[in-house]
Amino acid sequence: MNRIFAYFIRFYQKYLSIFSHGSCRFYPTCSQYSQIHFENNSFFKASYHTITRILRCNQLFSGGFDHPEVLLDLKKIKISYKKVSIKYWYIPNGNGRFFVIKNWERNR
Amino acid sequence: MNKTNNTPSNQKRILFATLLAFAFFIAYDLLYIKPKQNELALQTQAEQTVSVSTKSEQTTQNQAPQSNNNSVSSNAAPMQNQEIVSTITTKNNIIEIDSLGRIAQITLTGEQYINDSGKHLQLFNTNLLKALEVRFSDKDINNEAFSTKVIVNQSQIDASSSEQRLLITQELSQTTLTKELLIKPDGTFSINVNSTNNKEFFITTGFRPDIIADMYADHGVLLKNNDNTLTIIEDGDLANSSNFVGVKIASAFDRYYATVLYNLDTSMAVSLMPDKENNPQIFINAGDGISLNAYMGPKDYKMLKSLSPELTDVIEYGFFTFIAKPMFAMLNYIYSLVGHWGWTIIITTILIKLVLYPLAHKGMVSMMRLKDLAPKIKEIQEKYKGDPQKASMHMMELYKKHGANPMGGCLPIILQIPVFFAIYRVLTNAIELKGAGFLWVNDLSLMDPFFILPILMGATMYLQQKITPNTIQDETQRKIFQYLPVIFTFFFLWFPAGLTLYWFVNNLFTVTHQYFLNKAYDKAREQRKAS
Repeated sequence: MNRIFAYFIRFYQKYLSIFSHGSCRFYPTCSQYSQIHFENNSFFKASYHTITRILRCNQLFSGGFDHPEVLLDLKKIKISYKKVSIKYWYIPNGNGRFFVIKNWERNR
Repeated sequence: MNKTNNTPSNQKRILFATLLAFAFFIAYDLLYIKPKQNELALQTQAEQTVSVSTKSEQTTQNQAPQSNNNSVSSNAAPMQNQEIVSTITTKNNIIEIDSLGRIAQITLTGEQYINDSGKHLQLFNTNLLKALEVRFSDKDINNEAFSTKVIVNQSQIDASSSEQRLLITQELSQTTLTKELLIKPDGTFSINVNSTNNKEFFITTGFRPDIIADMYADHGVLLKNNDNTLTIIEDGDLANSSNFVGVKIASAFDRYYATVLYNLDTSMAVSLMPDKENNPQIFINAGDGISLNAYMGPKDYKMLKSLSPELTDVIEYGFFTFIAKPMFAMLNYIYSLVGHWGWTIIITTILIKLVLYPLAHKGMVSMMRLKDLAPKIKEIQEKYKGDPQKASMHMMELYKKHGANPMGGCLPIILQIPVFFAIYRVLTNAIELKGAGFLWVNDLSLMDPFFILPILMGATMYLQQKITPNTIQDETQRKIFQYLPVIFTFFFLWFPAGLTLYWFVNNLFTVTHQYFLNKAYDKAREQRKAS
């Protein structure tokens, strides 16, 4: 399910976003924010965050920097010690919460 | 990512989007023309095959369908046009009753109901199931009924000034069927149907009106249940017979017209049977007698509401009904004040703009402050050429530092979509807007014949882009952005003119707003320089 939605968002970004270009008040943009959530969070949480983000994306709110945040239990994460290519940075924000920052340089 | 790689791929995207738009409309037209052709084919051989369901407790209900199946041969005769035994004239229509006691045709006599060749519209395709046809559960009686002519008490009735009564009697060997119609001057009627000797029968609304049934709007059958929910089965979607109880209103409808039988006091049991094309047909279980009200004509909001507010649910706008209904209510109210649909759309647009004005103004003012930041923005653009992510991040930082955020936001754009669809649905589904002209446009629910509105719309969009401070960092993306008016003009070429009018007026006001803001800002800056 998450993957299907991530594909939808990618499709939107690739082909449809030219119609709504340059309107998002946030960094990262709503579609990027949503995509990151769908790739890092459970389906319902990702949907919830996407909807509230779009609702906030209007002139009544100040916009600006707003990075997606997820709950992570580090003990449950299996660590592989192989060489990896970094897709997301998790920046700790206290109480097991982490900001998710996409590594934009990965595909360069 | 450098620009030389970026340009062709972006051009591909524009091409793709444009092709997608074209493919959409071509498919739409194909799907629109095809059903029409199918219907023509249907006319040549109109008989129903009926699949039989075998739920034991509903055997009696299903026998009418069964008997119909067995009497296909005897059914073929009645399908051919029978002689007209009674003609009723009312203020709004002419109702013709054939020799089997069914409604052969209804002609709408209102001056707006005229077809291309200047003739008054006729509701039904006379080769299909006729309204008020009765089918007995007993096979033998049913066969006999299809070959026995009825007797009427009057052959010419003028009900245009007062209520009139028509009594249709059919004498059969085992029973006598009587249909008593009380016809009101407005062309609606109530009907009492009874059989003697407890012979059970069904009565039908007939096949839906067949004036305009295409892919642009739903057509088929609508049932309103006692709990006020709606059951809608579109043409081609009914594979097997199905039964419903607790039905208040049964309607067979095309885009603008409906045949409605209803009883708001005593609910009905309804069987839907598919015809050869899986189109649903309504059969109401009458027992050995039933009283119903009938409305057969345009789905005119005012007319239906005057009969009963419940009936207005017969008008439905497909998936977007929930937003299209309030939109219609608003348009209808404004129309009642202005009396012209073109101006109604313009006023509605202005009202929507006014509601959003404070937001839009705030955004525009915020955007104006960018003009002062222009050198810094240019600096960022130079520094992060070819890295849109970094550039937009630094832009955001800059906005934050100066307390300005020039973007409109995603929500306003997303909110445009339902408003847009609501207007589209109202334009295509509301009979009131059918044939409503405006200046050179004959019909706001159809495309602009001279493409003037789409071109004006594109022009205003271009202007809007010209005078709005540009915030796009990426050179190629800015180029794509400049093509948008062209793409949108193409999109709108085939859209209903009313919708294009909405978008055009919408743009026009944005441009004017921006223009005055620009002027005021320049003036303020000059004053600042002077002092």
